[in-house]
Amino acid sequence: MTATNERKLTIARAMAEAVAQEMRIDPSVFVMGEDIAALGGVYGNTRGIFDEFVSVRIRDTPISETAFIGAAVGAAQDGMRPVVELMFVDFFGVCFDAIYNLMAKNTYFSGGSFKVPMVLMTSTGGGYSDAGQHSQCLYGTFAHLPGMKVVCPSNAYDAKGLMTAAMRDDSPVVYMYHKSLQGMGWLATEPGATVHTPEESYMLEIGKAKVVREGSDVTIVSLGMGVHHALKAAAQMEADGVSAEVVDLVSLVPLDRDTIRASVAKTGRRIVVDEDYMSYGVSGEVIASVTEHDISVLKAAPKRVAYPDVPIPYARVMEQFCLPNPDKIIAAYQGMNAA
Amino acid sequence: MRLREIQDRFMATNIIIPTDLWEEDEEAVITTWLVSDGASVEEGALIAEIMTAKVQYEINAPASGIISIKEAADAVVPKGAVIGAIS
Repeated sequence: MTATNERKLTIARAMAEAVAQEMRIDPSVFVMGEDIAALGGVYGNTRGIFDEFVSVRIRDTPISETAFIGAAVGAAQDGMRPVVELMFVDFFGVCFDAIYNLMAKNTYFSGGSFKVPMVLMTSTGGGYSDAGQHSQCLYGTFAHLPGMKVVCPSNAYDAKGLMTAAMRDDSPVVYMYHKSLQGMGWLATEPGATVHTPEESYMLEIGKAKVVREGSDVTIVSLGMGVHHALKAAAQMEADGVSAEVVDLVSLVPLDRDTIRASVAKTGRRIVVDEDYMSYGVSGEVIASVTEHDISVLKAAPKRVAYPDVPIPYARVMEQFCLPNPDKIIAAYQGMNAA
Repeated sequence: MRLREIQDRFMATNIIIPTDLWEEDEEAVITTWLVSDGASVEEGALIAEIMTAKVQYEINAPASGIISIKEAADAVVPKGAVIGAIS
């Protein structure tokens, strides 16, 4: 295929481009985090920004998430628009008071006198043997707590538009990006995430899901890396005569329940794919969104392909056994019809 | 077809892994092609990323024209390797 204006970007480049473009037009935007300045972030998502803005508006921090995320909340309430990075979402433990008691709630506690317009970007996911403190997704943990928006891109186009929208939003936004989609070689990169991305700035609406593949027999709902598993499963199912629709949630908060319901109303069957732990999480919420709304559309009980409720193993074979994959999605569909 | 072969032989510019980006004889992995096979590219445009250990380098188009990818993403390549051509 000849594409004269093709401009494929990795998610890492798309995120960095969005932040740099916003910094050029909005002096209140600045970036803080560990190794995000001269190094450009361990996932490449702030590369090049340091060269342009030097050290004033992009700052490496000491390894104290409690301190710098707390500082970001204060700066946001004082009129700035900080973008801060929690390098691994797994590290949320030490700084969660700043996130869910301060960042998420101060707008409410102040009766709207203060806004907290900050972006907390954080990496999720495993698959490359980094064990139980560096491989979690924890989507449900953040999406469960009110007061913050939560987004999760599956490709570079969405990543750029979501980042621009997040920086312009007056609410705090938790921006969760999956390591395997970043385009960094050492993280088992998924090539499907590297897509054509316009250079000019644009926003993707937070709270809108996307039907990324149309189908009529079953709806596969997922987010982030799971979308790519779902698309691969759908392609294999097509060879067997099964027409699978794939819905990319894009945002967890607000959750686009209407798009999920409309898709399941069409197909009557639903599989939810989530790399976060199975219980009390995204997969259950997506299923409840349909069943409490209209159970009559269902032709079969919904299925989940999610991470088992165990700490993530280090051993490669054990981790791979636990992770969602296209084969598990296909098996879930077959189990659905056998029942 | 014959014209294309002649063009390839006489007009194509190879895309080569530079020999001066890092000191050791370590091999690199092509992490991402930022253009599709057969796409039209401008000289100097960013077209690929390669990586050694955890250091990433950029590959820019050595000429303008239609790109032909010879080594796919994830390929491990030594310094001086031809990973594609532009004609």
